[in-house]
Amino acid sequence: MTAKSVGNAANNTASGTPDGTVEYAAPALTLGDKLSRAVDHFRNEWQLYVMLAPAVIWCIVFLYKPMYGLQIAFKDYSIFRGVAASPWIGLEHFETLFGNDQFIRAVFNTIKISALNLLFGFPAPIILALMFNEVLHAGYKRFAQTIVYLPHFISTVIIAGIVITAFSPTAGIVNTILGWFGADSIYFLTKPEWFRPIFVGTGIWQEAGFGSIVFLAAIAGVNPSLYESAVVDGASRWQMMWKITIPSILPTIIIMLIIRIGNIMEVSFELIILLYQPATYSTADVVNTFVYRQGLQSGQYDMAAAAGLFNAAVAFVLVVAANSLSRRYSRTSLW
Amino acid sequence: MTGVRLEGIVKAYGRIQVVHGIDLNVEEKEFVVLVGPSGCGKSTTLRMIAGLEEITDGTLHIHERLCNRVAPKDRDVAMVFQNYALYPHLNVADNIAFGLRIRKTPKAEIAKSVSDVAEILGLTEYLDRRPADLSGGQRQRVAMGRAIVRHPKVFLFDEPLSNLDAKLRTQMRAEIKRLHKRLDVTSVYVTHDQVEAMTLADRIVVMNKGIIEQIGTPMDLFMNPANTFVASFIGSPPMNQMPATITRSPDGYRALIDQVSVPLHNSLSVSEGQDVIVGIRPEHFSLKNDGGLPAIPLSLDLVETLGSEALLHATVDNQSVIVKTDTNGDISQLSNVDTVYVPPEKVKIFDAGTGKVIS
Ligand SMILES: Nc1ncnc2c1ncn2[C@@H]1O[C@H](COP(=O)(O)OP(=O)(O)O)[C@@H](O)[C@H]1O
Ligand SMILES: [Mg+2]
Repeated sequence: MTAKSVGNAANNTASGTPDGTVEYAAPALTLGDKLSRAVDHFRNEWQLYVMLAPAVIWCIVFLYKPMYGLQIAFKDYSIFRGVAASPWIGLEHFETLFGNDQFIRAVFNTIKISALNLLFGFPAPIILALMFNEVLHAGYKRFAQTIVYLPHFISTVIIAGIVITAFSPTAGIVNTILGWFGADSIYFLTKPEWFRPIFVGTGIWQEAGFGSIVFLAAIAGVNPSLYESAVVDGASRWQMMWKITIPSILPTIIIMLIIRIGNIMEVSFELIILLYQPATYSTADVVNTFVYRQGLQSGQYDMAAAAGLFNAAVAFVLVVAANSLSRRYSRTSLW
Repeated sequence: MTGVRLEGIVKAYGRIQVVHGIDLNVEEKEFVVLVGPSGCGKSTTLRMIAGLEEITDGTLHIHERLCNRVAPKDRDVAMVFQNYALYPHLNVADNIAFGLRIRKTPKAEIAKSVSDVAEILGLTEYLDRRPADLSGGQRQRVAMGRAIVRHPKVFLFDEPLSNLDAKLRTQMRAEIKRLHKRLDVTSVYVTHDQVEAMTLADRIVVMNKGIIEQIGTPMDLFMNPANTFVASFIGSPPMNQMPATITRSPDGYRALIDQVSVPLHNSLSVSEGQDVIVGIRPEHFSLKNDGGLPAIPLSLDLVETLGSEALLHATVDNQSVIVKTDTNGDISQLSNVDTVYVPPEKVKIFDAGTGKVIS
């Protein structure tokens, strides 16, 4: 009797774990039980499903349904026969693509432009946000922020117009200024070596301000007493930026970086179309513009689908890799 | 030498003045607690000492050095914040070392100081942990560690215990007291909790609406409150306060509450017909008549049992009154109480107009 009750007590109070948890053997549920629980759950929580529905429908209509058409990358597609009736040809389109110098060039151009974008375009909004954070005069800060947000709201066509005008060899402001120093006028937009700097610079000018909002929000979320404590400890503003602000917004930076890496193959296609010309194809032509010219303008939809699929596959691998690296080394990840 | 001296300290935010000229001397090595209701300007005063808020008017001396315009880092003070202000991306050791690193202290010295402080605070096992992986009490200790490690001239605490649960608060309170005994550094401690103030302070500063109501030792404030505000703020439950009028009887002055009259100590400088407030601490009533004490009849509403003590909620002439009494383990007789007794010397009289004590 005594021995037995002692044994029971030990079981009930989980002597093994310090926080008093015990191993729980879940009872086996019958299918009927599970079903009725699911029904109850749905009855209680249906509002959540209603809220979820638009996102699910959007994904189906705009993401999953178009995937059906992706199969033409592996078919000899003809508009007249339709997607289903076109014959399978395996990887022939991919072989053709990788045999095409222009495509290979476009892949490398994409990577180079993206790398430059990542190198200069990614830190720009962070630096801008840190700089805004140091502006003490509230009125001036708001004014400056509004100014740098503006280009984001200007249509890409107008942005391209501004860039083309600014770099024009005759009346452009850039050549005018160069002229003051006695330099000869350069027709920048016909020079392949100038395309990438102009493109990346334009991207920063257009988006850095708007992109800084995310980081400013993250900075605003930092507990102010961290700074006060640092002030009493004797930290300078520079030290506070490096030792408090940047580490505090690091998770945000990492998330944004992962997203950015996922979009690495998606260089701003409209801006390139608007700025490039055959003279600069050697540096300006990227996979998307290649797909546009080959697929839509020359009617090779199946080839274009293959190139697009390749693009997506690379992006997918990159974002998964970036996410898992980040999860391992910084405890921050998108999923 | 004084540790911290405030003279005529005023703080205004724009055109709103929130601290109205405070004078306070904190002796070296003294533990002074600023206590008062929320919004009375305690934190603002403390932050002016730390240099986190500019001083609008008046002078601040720390160790006899004029500090009004001295940068926080050069005041040699350390502050412990209510929410701990720990750096979430740094582990305990790096959090404690932060201030020393900022000051470019040699590495070996930092390591020694951090391990000494961790030893004092019982944090040695946790040095590698991030703040997120610590309990509230441990975080609190890290925050203390960060202040101690710098060996400042003055410690400033802004409600350091108010994020802890009641039990932990009691425990940390004792720990802070022990720590102060051991380190012997001038400390200014802000709290809204009078129990914390009573238990920790060498001297308490009671603040209200941006002014100082009274400064004194805990016992001094408890026994001799300067006004009705201090009387109701210090002590738990607060002192009973009942409006009354002074009357004269053959054996001296009495305070007539309504029908009940309470005899007063004959040294009080009151005059007949004066409107006053009678203050009696709940614990100064007695249920037994020891040696001819004046009796006060009351009608009992409710008995709250706390264990060794009980609180009797009652009314005297329609004024609610709380009586605190020892139970001695037996509460069976308490519900029959209809009379209490109070020694005249324990009855405080305050001016009904100004609220100031009459002695
Ligand atoms: N930055 C500020 N601007 C305007 N008023 C403030 C500011 N900080 C505090 N106050 C006001 O000053 C008064 C005192 O605040 P505080 O010192 O924080 O009170 P507490 O005694 O609770 O610590 C409050 O009325 C508060 O509203
Ligand atoms: Mg406060």
